[in-house]
Amino acid sequence: MIAGHEVLDHTGEIGLRVWAPTLEELFAEAGRALREIELPVVSPVYPTRTRTVAVRASDRPALLVEWLNELIYLAERDRWVATEFGTGVVNETEARFEVTGVEIPTAPSEVKAATLHNLRLQPLDGGWEAEVILDV
Amino acid sequence: MSERIVAVAKRLSPVLYEIPVTAREGMRVPARVFADEALWQRLAADRSLEQLVNVATLPGVVGHVLAMPDVHEGYGFPVGGVAAMRIRDGVVSPGGVGYDINCGVRLLASELEATAVQDRIETVVHDLSRSIPSGPHANRALSLERDELDRVLEEGVPYLVERGLATPDDLAHTEAGGALPGADAGAVSARAKDRGHDQLGTIGSGNHFVEVQVVDEVFDETAAQAYGLREGQLTVLIHTGSRGLGHQVCTDYVRELDRVMPRYGITLPDRQLACAPLSAPEGKRYLGAMAAAANFAWSNRQAITHAARRVFDRAFGPQGTLRLVYDVAHNIAKLERHQDTEVCVHRKGATRAFGPSHPETPAAYRSVGQPVLIPGSMGTTSYVLAGQDAAYEASFGSCCHGAGRAMSRGAAKRTRSGSEVRRELQARGIVVRCSSNEELAEEAPYAYKDVEEVVSVVHQAGLAKKVARLRPLGVIKG
Repeated sequence: MIAGHEVLDHTGEIGLRVWAPTLEELFAEAGRALREIELPVVSPVYPTRTRTVAVRASDRPALLVEWLNELIYLAERDRWVATEFGTGVVNETEARFEVTGVEIPTAPSEVKAATLHNLRLQPLDGGWEAEVILDV
Repeated sequence: MSERIVAVAKRLSPVLYEIPVTAREGMRVPARVFADEALWQRLAADRSLEQLVNVATLPGVVGHVLAMPDVHEGYGFPVGGVAAMRIRDGVVSPGGVGYDINCGVRLLASELEATAVQDRIETVVHDLSRSIPSGPHANRALSLERDELDRVLEEGVPYLVERGLATPDDLAHTEAGGALPGADAGAVSARAKDRGHDQLGTIGSGNHFVEVQVVDEVFDETAAQAYGLREGQLTVLIHTGSRGLGHQVCTDYVRELDRVMPRYGITLPDRQLACAPLSAPEGKRYLGAMAAAANFAWSNRQAITHAARRVFDRAFGPQGTLRLVYDVAHNIAKLERHQDTEVCVHRKGATRAFGPSHPETPAAYRSVGQPVLIPGSMGTTSYVLAGQDAAYEASFGSCCHGAGRAMSRGAAKRTRSGSEVRRELQARGIVVRCSSNEELAEEAPYAYKDVEEVVSVVHQAGLAKKVARLRPLGVIKG
């Protein structure tokens, strides 16, 4: 299985389906999918910065929502959009990654939040698959 | 599942359908949907009805859960949904308010004839777009120190009167006077304040906009006169909410309530309906934070009003004075009394529509009912309605909030490009200021239901009556 994602049609919002061979790769792929929505074109002139992004949650599906909400928050507060996901660890209740992102001069496209609605994260064909709805 | 719900529903009138309490397991009350046959037939296409019956399972829900004719699929609650919970044993759900807490609409009216100033509209729209930051994360319209932000959160628009950005007359023409009681800045996280402190006076993106409009047609002379509206008059409509601050408040409390629900023995058909008893500390804290975010949203629309007034003053002098007709919230939870019961009314994509006899209807409008402002989609007509007393019994004093999406953003973009949408709007004589072609394509008029059809249903249902139609001359979009 190669990591990938697709945007699902939803009348009001945006749905994401993400799949990957490992949980770590699934979280990284979800981050890349969010980047495509927030910043469809990454200019090579944007300065980059690497930081550690870590989140905790009560269970694995909620952890994916926390992860996306943390990236949404950092994009809005710091105008820093995550683009590359380095070494990472994901377990039942915690995710931690070294993330490189670009510092952008103008605003990214607005994503308000990742929601718990119809949230799914489960093993599939020897890998993992998730679905999450974003409020945009 | 939506098809199955449609199959068991009964038509009570040409504009009202009822879904029985047996439609899904765990429903505590029936659901009602305000729709004509055409709108009803289209509802099975998405998950609106499934989401509506899920809401009917929430503890303490009373009467009926309701869907307005503009209802569409949301997350948890449908957008265009109303649900009232008993204070005594009911719950409050942040998802029942949504991420954009107190997203709402305000209408400003000038004394100018649109035809007399036609040649200056483009300049005014341009000046408005420079004076009111728009776009997804446009900031720094009015950056606030933390103690000032806390005063906005707890005191709302009355604090802006002190700062010279609002007048006492503005307060009298804003729902709840621009300040919900019980707002608690201490219940708003530092993260939410980080997101919001420099966003006061900004539009944001999505379906939010500022439009320069003309009163296109008056349907009810008496009510229009009470609201100070007449055909041909130049007006300004503002549609935005609580920006990143509200989004973060919702994120914070969905997380917290999702975690504490087992403590209260609550199980839900959808995790995004996360809720807590209104009597529990977590429920009370959410209400305090939500009220603070609502105050921020009213203050945001007020700060935009202040900027628009300066633009109109520069362009037209005293004749350009912009009077606030009214400001309504359409994503909010409010403590109200209905049928002798204290309830928390969740309005998610629904507007309060109090009639002439309600004490909260502003004194100047007591003879006709509160103004209900229904923005169309970008570039289409908007409506001014008057709330009716019948809404009090039929819908907890609520009515629709807009056109409602009919097409996903992806489908809209596949239909036509942003530059085509821009050209079409310009061909209709509408001045457009929007930096993103993609946003234009996503919010194109054909992606929405027909606002006239939606408004006609609430008029026929007696929730609110048509007063006037507004036509856009210029659009400033995020």
